[in-house]
Amino acid sequence: MARVILGVSALYHDAAAALLIDGKVVAAAQEERFTRLKHDPSLPVRAAGWCLHHAGLRAEDVDQLVFYEKPLRKFERILTTSVAAFPRSALSFPRQMKSWLGDKLWTRNRLVEAFGLPSAKIGFSEHHLSHAASAFYSSPFERAAVLVADGVGEWATTSIWRGGPEGLTPLAEVRWPHSLGLVYSALTAFLGFAVNEGEYKVMGMAAWGQPRYLEQLHQIAKLTPGGGFTLDLDVFSHHWHPTRASTDKLAALLGPPRAPGSPIALLEPGADAGARAEGQRHADIAASTQRWLEDALLHVVRHAHALSGEDALCLAGGVALNAVANHRLAAEGPFAHLFVQPAAGDAGGALGAAQWAAHAVFGQPRPAGPFRCDLGPEIDVGHARQLADDLGFPHDEVSGEDQLAAGVAADLLAGRAVGFVQGRAELGPRALGHRSILADPRGAGTAERVNRQIKLREPFRPFAPSARAADMGLFALPPAAADLAPYMVIASPAADQLRSEAPAVVHVDGTARPQAVDPGREPLYHGVLDAMHAATGLGVALNTSFNLKGEPLVGSATDALATLARSALDAVWIGPLRIGRPSARALGE
Amino acid sequence: MGQLRKVWIGLTGRFAWRFRAAHLLRAFSRTEQGSALDMFAACEATPRRELRRKYFRHALDEWRHAGVFKARARAVGGRSATETGVDEAGVIVEHGIIGGRTLFERLGERDFLAFVYVAEADAVEQFEVYAARGLPDPDTQAALSVILKDELFHVTYSKHELERLTGAPPTTGTAAVVGAEARAAVRRIRWSRLKEGWLRLSLDIGHLMTSLWLTLLYALLIPPFRLLARLEPAGWQAPSADPRPLRLRLQSEA
Ligand SMILES: [Fe+2]
Ligand SMILES: [Fe+2]
Ligand SMILES: [Fe+2]
Repeated sequence: MARVILGVSALYHDAAAALLIDGKVVAAAQEERFTRLKHDPSLPVRAAGWCLHHAGLRAEDVDQLVFYEKPLRKFERILTTSVAAFPRSALSFPRQMKSWLGDKLWTRNRLVEAFGLPSAKIGFSEHHLSHAASAFYSSPFERAAVLVADGVGEWATTSIWRGGPEGLTPLAEVRWPHSLGLVYSALTAFLGFAVNEGEYKVMGMAAWGQPRYLEQLHQIAKLTPGGGFTLDLDVFSHHWHPTRASTDKLAALLGPPRAPGSPIALLEPGADAGARAEGQRHADIAASTQRWLEDALLHVVRHAHALSGEDALCLAGGVALNAVANHRLAAEGPFAHLFVQPAAGDAGGALGAAQWAAHAVFGQPRPAGPFRCDLGPEIDVGHARQLADDLGFPHDEVSGEDQLAAGVAADLLAGRAVGFVQGRAELGPRALGHRSILADPRGAGTAERVNRQIKLREPFRPFAPSARAADMGLFALPPAAADLAPYMVIASPAADQLRSEAPAVVHVDGTARPQAVDPGREPLYHGVLDAMHAATGLGVALNTSFNLKGEPLVGSATDALATLARSALDAVWIGPLRIGRPSARALGE
Repeated sequence: MGQLRKVWIGLTGRFAWRFRAAHLLRAFSRTEQGSALDMFAACEATPRRELRRKYFRHALDEWRHAGVFKARARAVGGRSATETGVDEAGVIVEHGIIGGRTLFERLGERDFLAFVYVAEADAVEQFEVYAARGLPDPDTQAALSVILKDELFHVTYSKHELERLTGAPPTTGTAAVVGAEARAAVRRIRWSRLKEGWLRLSLDIGHLMTSLWLTLLYALLIPPFRLLARLEPAGWQAPSADPRPLRLRLQSEA
């Protein structure tokens, strides 16, 4: 009989559920797509319910539920840290204890209640093990070294593993409070962005600055001989302060922090000289932070190479989503092959927890073929049509994939930005042509228009291109990164042709973060790019996630229409259905 | 009852606007964002076309309000840059999803409409008191009066639709709800909101007490252990060996 394993991540960052049947990933989804709370950490009741429904199963059909970490070990870390940091932990202790004693300590019971499974069917992986498994078992490698780097799991913040047919073997780990991810987060907060959300903004902003503060950062977060690193625990305060990740000593080194929500003068045409200088200082801090992370990762990756003796490396954990650092690892690092699991954050932990149980514990074979991220729900076209009718959105429909591809390309070529909702939703933060906003990248004003009027977000944030797999010569991807091309997880220098012809998808530093669209794996999306190529000689689209700033990727048809109504987007394609902008009257204005 | 509530809102409001304006505005923003999500969820789920349109428009209003309140919070002063929580997972708002079910799914159309009516009427009352006195600045005042117009629409349409759905002759404006079934639904919602408010209050008090107790425990019990607990050294450590077979490891929370 088939073995059904449900992986669950929750109660910390991105809650998600993943369903494996006989080792094959059948469905996976993040809770935020259903509840609409970005990074929703609550138990993924809806996501899991959907996974089971999709597979035609019920809760009692699940043989094993695997939670992605060990709650008691995490509690031990929190308690030990509070005690060791006495009396500075006076504020964080009651908060932490309340949330643990009242809730997280009883994770097993909560899982039993929420998913209706007997306690005997509930198991626990480990946080970094889940990350490592999600990267290794999704990779094309038979054997590989695995590096996990995030904020923190139970104790480990950085860990090195060896993956092979025998399973995953831990080789070494760096423990809390020394954490690469938390250095980046502390600087993210210092720059006035929300932690776990603003890290992308720091990476985007970095390209506008010079790493003038790199030396200061290397002083407070030192790389040590032997491939390790150590944080100055008088500067960083994540181990004892409930809400602050750094002390005033950081401001003494870098100048005053940026107030959240204050305008970023970098690209504001009307800004005065003082504001501009301040904006430049922030960009320089971002550039220094980014460079420090790259230096640190290279340092760590060299150690992983020496320790494991493998020639392929899998990366996971939130830090692995840093596409700029990934380029340096591929270009300058010691490994011949690199793989990054695109749902590298904690949502991927649900997947990895289930994969570890399936392959390492129960010995089920790994499925063949490259990893696909489109594991989530599909939007029903009939329901979307009904909704568009009811809400007074104009719509029409094409028949067949060729007409659909031609219709989307025609929109793009006419200068329109469209929502592109096709097939199953992606797991993880990257939209890869299933829940995307697409635009023609050829105009210089496109990037700013999409940022300001469509996504309602900061103008300095870059956009990524999707290109036909045959056109990957437009990007100088290092040879080690060949397996990363389909996932938008690496930012590499753009070729001259792309810089001159498609400025909207080239960042200010001349890099681009491409998605290679394969005709076999993504025939429809490839068709769109083909049609654009036939018309313009360039088969490239600007592809950004279909959401507004601060919101999760669209989940339902209502979400898609709501995004259309609230932004300057021109149309949304849901399957073959093209929905245009509603009249003001239809919206009751 | 109504008059008492107004006095209470006026008193607490004056204090809150004076000392915690940004906090209050952020709380409003979260509430508005939460109701936008509740309304979008209702729009997705309702089988009734005429209601779907109203829910959608309502959701868009609340979403806009959330943005206005957030901008006002920012303008009257916010937290310092480094005050962003390490554990704070992005922008979390509160809304009606409990145990994976949306407010609409839990209440059904009729009680959902009654809920919207009661919640919106309460909001109007609150905003009217605030608009009448004591707002921090003319911009917030102006923003609130624009929002108040939308809220009045939310009250009237939800009442109208509730009456229609329950077969009563629908009324307009701010007249009292008519029809036995509609009135019963409104009463039920009022009662459950009252209970919830009470529950929240006791929970808040409970939390406060727990915090005090834990702080006391912290001060008394932790110091002796202070010397025993050490933070982990930096650098690479050998992973702690776990001799248990994999299946046993899987079963354990530790
Ligand atoms: Fe993690
Ligand atoms: Fe509102
Ligand atoms: Fe309202």
